[in-house]
Amino acid sequence: MEIDAVSLTAVTKSFGAVRAVDGLTLAIPRGQTVALLGPNGAGKSTTIGMLLGLIPPDSGKTAIFGIDPGQAVRQGLAGAMPQEGGLIPRVTIRELLTFIAGTYRAPLPLEQVLALALMTGLEDRRVDKLSGGQAQRVRFAMALVGDPDLIVLDEPTAALDVEARREFWNGMRTLTGRGKTVLFSTHYLDEADEQADRVVVIDRGHVVADGTSAEIKKIVALTTVSVTAVGEVAWLGDLPGVSRLEVRGDRVHLRSADPDATVMALAQAGAVRNLEVTPADLEDAFVALTAKETV
Amino acid sequence: MFGYIRLELLRTIRDGGFIIFGIASPVVMYLVLSNLALAPGDRHTGAIVTMVSMAAYGALGGAFNNGSGIAEDRAAGWLRQLRLTPLAPAQVVTGKVITGVLGVVPSIAAVLLTGVLVNHVTLSPWQWLSIVGLLWAGTIPFSLLGLGNGYALTGQTAGMANIAAFLGLSIVGGLWVPTAGFPGWLRAIAEWTPSNSYAALSWDVASGTAPGARAVVILCGWLVVFGLWALYAYRRAGRTA
Ligand SMILES: Nc1ncnc2c1ncn2[C@@H]1O[C@H](COP(=O)(O)OP(=O)(O)OP(=O)(O)O)[C@@H](O)[C@H]1O
Ligand SMILES: [Mg+2]
Repeated sequence: MEIDAVSLTAVTKSFGAVRAVDGLTLAIPRGQTVALLGPNGAGKSTTIGMLLGLIPPDSGKTAIFGIDPGQAVRQGLAGAMPQEGGLIPRVTIRELLTFIAGTYRAPLPLEQVLALALMTGLEDRRVDKLSGGQAQRVRFAMALVGDPDLIVLDEPTAALDVEARREFWNGMRTLTGRGKTVLFSTHYLDEADEQADRVVVIDRGHVVADGTSAEIKKIVALTTVSVTAVGEVAWLGDLPGVSRLEVRGDRVHLRSADPDATVMALAQAGAVRNLEVTPADLEDAFVALTAKETV
Repeated sequence: MFGYIRLELLRTIRDGGFIIFGIASPVVMYLVLSNLALAPGDRHTGAIVTMVSMAAYGALGGAFNNGSGIAEDRAAGWLRQLRLTPLAPAQVVTGKVITGVLGVVPSIAAVLLTGVLVNHVTLSPWQWLSIVGLLWAGTIPFSLLGLGNGYALTGQTAGMANIAAFLGLSIVGGLWVPTAGFPGWLRAIAEWTPSNSYAALSWDVASGTAPGARAVVILCGWLVVFGLWALYAYRRAGRTA
């Protein structure tokens, strides 16, 4: 069996009374691109910090390519971009990246990194005189420059505009095309949906869902079947696949895990009037997943 | 680690605080003090004594400024970024200490050169060598104190603590005004300060005598104290970085 790029086993971390990460287990095989999706305070950054050996877990085991994370970083196997910070004043982009590259055994050529991070032509600018989006790209470049096999990015596109975000992911695909393993956290649901092979949803330090974005949508069964109906409608809630019924005016919205069966049953009952089937988008799935335990 | 030292030195020479406290202020003060003949003795002796004082003052400025840099680096997330590179934490600390040690060279050189070129100070070659060596090596305790503060305190507080320590030690240690003019109680304190012992080594050499054993012992004592402080602060910061 091939060794996983990332392996977290029952890791737990508390800050005082706050359980930031609570018995989280996650294994990422080589070459996968995984999105860590979760609301503010879900424990994404803490998980990433433990994975990289920056935060010691209270309990549980962490490994990168089967070895201790600190050791893996020391060997240049992992590169990372923390959620914030990491830039210093009074140096140029070129000086900074040349230094970081020099700490690795086999770094990427500077021109290639600049191209991947969309910074060609900016290399002689001072790091402290960049816009938020440009600074973000420098931080991204620092994660890439050593050409590590595992790239960990904590909210990599947070400060980027729509155009820059698209270009960013084009650059990332160049890397994943070369077999790199990528773990990134995000609040952008479309981003997880489009860019990741696999989406891991976390909330309050737990993994609440794990799969392809299609699988996650299925787990939460958020396809909505709506019809116009008047009078007694409670029986619609008992149709096959239906997990919830909601009445808004003369419209009845049925949340269904098996929309085909639900529509079929509606047809047999002769209740198909202005039928509308709305597939779940990941955003709904996400909200549903992370709201589930609050009630 | 060589690359790290190079990068840090680049940042140091582009740092306004370093230029002001480490180079401009000691050179200007040296010119003013030596030409006002505020130092005791004849003009030439005064120029030598003040030269040593101001070189020591500038070197202290550089050493403390380097320590404040650590607090800024920590606040900026730079130390965490370094932990995400193959550099070992020990290499980073060593690199920072070496940067501090190298960073005081321009301060010492600027004042000594001003002494030679402007005030026509003449000393024997071995005196020059010893003074440069003593002024240089003697900054290590102050570098450690500065780094300790940089690790123990957050951004601005560390900067202020280091400037306070720098000015306080410079003044009480008799670098600005010779302790001969101090009231008795202050002179008693001055004789126990690391800054006074540090400069005294070179004052002795400049006046043609061997450095006093007392100053050596006191400075080494402070070296141990500040070294322990830096070690403690570094360990503590490591747990929260
Ligand atoms: N150093 C710390 N000290 C105290 N509490 C912390 C610390 N770091 C994180 N926490 C708490 O742990 C929980 C998880 O935080 P974490 O930063 O991992 O969340 P996140 O998923 O990255 O959130 P965001 O999307 O806002 O970045 C939060 O409740 C946070 O307040
Ligand atoms: Mg976060």
